[in-house]
Amino acid sequence: MSEFLRILEDEVQIVALAFMATVYTIRLIWMFRFKAGKEVTNPVGSPRVGAAYSMMNVAMPWAMESARKNLSFYVQFVIFHLGVLVAITATFILPYWPEFFEAEPIVRIFQLFMGAAFAVGLIRFIRRITSPVMRLISTPDDYFSVALLTAWFAAGVFAMPNQHEISEWPLILFFGMTTLFLIYVPFSKISHYLYYPFTRYFLGKTMGHRGVFPRKKGGEKPAGME
Amino acid sequence: MSDKTINISDVVNLPLDLKEQKKALEQKSPAVVEGKVKVYDPNRDNVKNLLEMLKNRLSRQTVSSLVGCVHCGMCSDSCHYALARPHDPTMTPAYKADQIRQIFKRHIDWAGRVFPWWVHAKTPKNDEDLNRLKNIVFGTCTGCRRCTLNCPMGVDTAVLVRLTRGLLTELGIVPEGVFVVDKDSWETGNQMGVSQEDYIETLEWQQEEVQAELDDPSFKISIDKEDCDFMYTVNPREIKYDPRSIGYACKIFHIAGESWTMPSFGWDQTNFGLFSGDDKLGGYIAKNLYEAARRLKVKRIVISECGHGYRSSRWEGYNWAKYKQDIPSESIMITLIRYINRGLIKVDPSRNPLPVTYHDSCNLARSGDLTEEPRWILERVCTDFREMYPNRSDNFCCTGGGGALSMVEYKPLRMEVAKIKADQLIATGAKLVCTSCHNCVDGLSDLIKHYKLDMKIVQILDLVAEALVIPEKNEKK
Ligand code: SF4
Ligand code: SF4
Repeated sequence: MSEFLRILEDEVQIVALAFMATVYTIRLIWMFRFKAGKEVTNPVGSPRVGAAYSMMNVAMPWAMESARKNLSFYVQFVIFHLGVLVAITATFILPYWPEFFEAEPIVRIFQLFMGAAFAVGLIRFIRRITSPVMRLISTPDDYFSVALLTAWFAAGVFAMPNQHEISEWPLILFFGMTTLFLIYVPFSKISHYLYYPFTRYFLGKTMGHRGVFPRKKGGEKPAGME
Repeated sequence: MSDKTINISDVVNLPLDLKEQKKALEQKSPAVVEGKVKVYDPNRDNVKNLLEMLKNRLSRQTVSSLVGCVHCGMCSDSCHYALARPHDPTMTPAYKADQIRQIFKRHIDWAGRVFPWWVHAKTPKNDEDLNRLKNIVFGTCTGCRRCTLNCPMGVDTAVLVRLTRGLLTELGIVPEGVFVVDKDSWETGNQMGVSQEDYIETLEWQQEEVQAELDDPSFKISIDKEDCDFMYTVNPREIKYDPRSIGYACKIFHIAGESWTMPSFGWDQTNFGLFSGDDKLGGYIAKNLYEAARRLKVKRIVISECGHGYRSSRWEGYNWAKYKQDIPSESIMITLIRYINRGLIKVDPSRNPLPVTYHDSCNLARSGDLTEEPRWILERVCTDFREMYPNRSDNFCCTGGGGALSMVEYKPLRMEVAKIKADQLIATGAKLVCTSCHNCVDGLSDLIKHYKLDMKIVQILDLVAEALVIPEKNEKK
């Protein structure tokens, strides 16, 4: 392995990660400086149950009409995010546990996830360009974020065999993009995963307090009968 | 059925109509003189004021919704505006929320301050831009929160729309109807400007009606009586246009052997602060109601059938008024369930044989806790109850929510997007559509007329009153 690739996989990633963590911390402090709204009413349901339900929403496609009616979009969402998870995992395994990728089935599984995520990324990019709704609400950051992630998955597919003795270019590309990501993400909409727990928690807490979450399907005992 | 499609630029470019604001100034209306209702002033730096207010009004919750949108477009299928106008991307909830999000990004969020173009951060340039913003947040959203519950990120678009409405209300940049209702609310303590005289007269009239019906001179609607079990609060629409509903309710309370009262002031359970986004007005109206209950030393507050009234009085009002909920409050639906369940009143469902469907008010089902309660009652007071699909917290808005009924300038668009609700109603095959909200009654009536549907609107109380078995001793000889 060349010294350049070694530094890119190790020190550069650590510095970029530290940068991201610092920006995220500042970001959270900034968010928490806004005053929190408070419920002063007698509750009907449990804010805690509501918050938990709200956070789990992502794993309950049946609970939201938008997911229920767009199951293919939901499947794409799952594939895309699994791809992200697999790619992030790879950025840690490649430098610190390279033997892991010596087994071919493992390489293939990682490639499969990233390849599928790449395909979803392409579909999403095309949707963003072709749908009038998506075009209207999309910012340059939205296009760039999807494009960058999609390209990163493609780079990941080529980097997974981890054959720096044959060619280092796929690995340099993959880790180069990872660095770019770590620095760009805190300023882009990709950082939504940082906000997800808060947004869902706040909504869930209010809705739980009011008995709206968990959502009712019918057949529950009405109030007033006790 | 109408096949006309509104040109959206005609809606967003509607001018700011100031007739009522000018009239109120000339008449030295107290709410205007005391600065409770703000009047549009073209000489003021309205953009600067809006930006300052925005900074002060942000909470952790609103900020999380402002930063949380990933522009995934999933909300585009949730909104009745978007579904009824598939050709028009400006109806997408995210686009509507982006109108305030872009301002937030430009002035408060960091990436937008440094690279505005990159994240579409923008600043309104002048009052014309603010007027356009007004037309979007008042004219193209009923704050129904359907998109909120269908956003994977949990972004509360309806809350952002209300926040924006509140800022514009403070600048007097509001639809004429909103200005009038806000002014009436401040001046009379109720949103329809009902005088105390009219209120008392209406109650007396209903008292006489019920006395005659039951042939029972002991029946009384007590006003300001202390130490009763509960205080009954109503919607001004009941006083003005539908007083029978008060008679029905009080007749049922009487038969159930209740002790109840109605306050002479603080009786409006509705609250236009919810729609105009004015938390100060919201707090004032809600506090009147809570103070009345405290003054009369009642054990409970019972809220008549109204979605936004229930949401405001039971949930939001305490927060706006910063008032600890020391007296429990409940919807009249809960009261009715208790009566039927305990056998305090008897009902005969065969008196309501027509097929009935139920429309869930957004404020009861999505911003409140009541979905099973109306169904429990309907299954006992009518013989042919049919579900509407989707229902409960997935139901579509009556299209008259969010104060839309007071904003006549947007009515053509409202009627166009009501198509989605009309189709939902037709599919049930019902002859009666029941709703537990006076606002929905008017919203649905408009669309039933517009789309010429063969349906009538009723409320739960109408059906319960129809099914009510009057005990022998009360029956008219
Ligand atoms: S509001 Fe929610 S559903 Fe709509 S675009 Fe934003 S994140 Fe997606
Ligand atoms: S709150 Fe209701 S009307 Fe407003 S954008 Fe969301 S779905 Fe549409």
